[in-house]
Amino acid sequence: MKSLKYIWRNVRRNKLRSLLTMLSIGFSLALLTILLGYLAMQDQWGNEADKHHRIVVMSSSGFAGAVPISYVDRVRGMDDIESCTPFSWFGGTYKEQQMAFAQFGTDPKNVFQVWSEYVIDPGQLKEFQSDRQACVADRRLASRMKWNIGDKIPLKGTFYDVALDLKLVGVFDAPQTTDSLWFNLDYLSELLRAGGREQQSSNAGTIFAKTKSPGAIASISKEIDDRFSSSDNPTRTQTETAFAQIFTDMLGNIQTFILIIGLAVVFALSLVAATAMAMSMRERTTEIAVLKAIGFSRWNVLIFVLGEACCIAVLGGMVGLGLGCLCLQGLHVASAQFFPFSVSEFAGPWMLSLLGAAAGIGIVSGLVPAIRAAQLSVVDGLRRVI
Amino acid sequence: MDNSNSGPLVIVRDVTKEFRRESFVIPVLAGINLTLDAGDYVALMGPSGSGKSTLLNLIAGLDRPTTGDVIVCGTNLGSTPEGALAKWRANHIGFIFQMYNLIPVLTAYENVELPLTLTGLSRRERDQHVKTALEVVGLGDRMDHYPRQLSGGQEQRVSIARAIATDPTLIVADEPTGDLDAKSGGEILELMRRLNEDFKKTIIMVTHDQKAAARSKRIVHLEKGVLVNELSEAVATKGNS
Repeated sequence: MKSLKYIWRNVRRNKLRSLLTMLSIGFSLALLTILLGYLAMQDQWGNEADKHHRIVVMSSSGFAGAVPISYVDRVRGMDDIESCTPFSWFGGTYKEQQMAFAQFGTDPKNVFQVWSEYVIDPGQLKEFQSDRQACVADRRLASRMKWNIGDKIPLKGTFYDVALDLKLVGVFDAPQTTDSLWFNLDYLSELLRAGGREQQSSNAGTIFAKTKSPGAIASISKEIDDRFSSSDNPTRTQTETAFAQIFTDMLGNIQTFILIIGLAVVFALSLVAATAMAMSMRERTTEIAVLKAIGFSRWNVLIFVLGEACCIAVLGGMVGLGLGCLCLQGLHVASAQFFPFSVSEFAGPWMLSLLGAAAGIGIVSGLVPAIRAAQLSVVDGLRRVI
Repeated sequence: MDNSNSGPLVIVRDVTKEFRRESFVIPVLAGINLTLDAGDYVALMGPSGSGKSTLLNLIAGLDRPTTGDVIVCGTNLGSTPEGALAKWRANHIGFIFQMYNLIPVLTAYENVELPLTLTGLSRRERDQHVKTALEVVGLGDRMDHYPRQLSGGQEQRVSIARAIATDPTLIVADEPTGDLDAKSGGEILELMRRLNEDFKKTIIMVTHDQKAAARSKRIVHLEKGVLVNELSEAVATKGNS
């Protein structure tokens, strides 16, 4: 008879209590899974970006500030820049659906040089470059929206007070889901100019540029910012990784807040689990006394109780991890523009750390009952029977 | 630590035992002297509160005397550290409890195997021991049954199998028939007689039951913490002198 078998049988002894304890731990860890998973996904985004040594030029005032379209050619003309393109968030509604997918105005001639890892049929690219109202979409987005080549895609601006009447001319394949649609920024600029919004029409939003080598990133970023520092529109240039980090930083305090609440919930549920373990041990006082009477040492008893507590907690952790991953995968499916990676793409050591945290909860919750059981006097324990 | 084969198996010498409850000191045993030889079958009788179970606990190494010595199988239990005492119990003592005290989540086989996991026996050897013990108590066909699937008498027989599986030097039984009907109780007592006579096991049993005590080879009476028959012998000796 192995100790593990005995521990497992004890876990299953009171199925309802064990299940409820597991679920209480599981739900709290699901919350942490979502938070840590999101952070891991941001890291993954950064890691992917690092491979392609891109930089992002944005206004030093942040997203609210403008980056004049004229900057694009000036950046392109710099020595260490391989290619660059404006990349302007449109954020329109599609058939009354708000934020159904990401939409960006860009330069069809250069965008696939900046994102050189993206693949598009040359014929479709040519059409994208030649037709002002053409657009291309991520293949997975097109599939989700059931779009076919040639379909009309009307977008109604929210930030920009214009309506785009786009035609899908191609689909591209990206290493991860981008959930995005790209159209010609010139088309948007024309509409804005026609509507008398000259200032908006000359805004590139952000500029994405691919550098010739990773080693050039620091110097070229400084060079760009220095060049525009004394203009009306100074810039802030950073790596794509740092750009991705902005979105995480936007959550800043909320992220810490959620983490604190999550840890508080985990701590509270550790106490709940400890109560359940203490009750379980109290019911088994005589049994523990019998174990000690027939020769099991204090250490053996300690291991049995801690093993049981850890087993319940780790199972709860697995439930929590599973639930959290399901939620993250659901978010990826529902909103790939904000959750571009599938869980399998950012799975990693953070998951093990969560299971480690679950084992920690097990140890914390089982420690006091385990010590009390180990210190139990055999005579006192047996007195209930004798 | 272990004794040689010569001399008594159990020596209880000038033992007193007191319990402390807050500021009160409660004397339970006073000047107990008792010896058991290998092969003895002793019934320990007396009214409630006379100290029978306390004496049994001392002999089984579950508790320590306040003064005096309890030497079992050559080991002075009063001076043996707790960890070593647990190991000693695993090697030398087989327990039979009134309420059987089987582990409900383990089968009969696993319950009997439990103390054997503390020994250095291989899996195959453990298997032989378990099967032999269950055959001896007549439950060879109920190995896979859980305690809840057994009658009280069968549970007590599994408990006896657990007690003998390690081939202990001494079997201590606390009211082994106290929770059984007359028929089952009789079967258990017959089994204990066989263990003593056929398998030469030394047994010390606490009981209130005169019929159970009558099956033993020797009856020792305790009253208010004193062995009255030993006392009687002492008084008789004193009277004769």
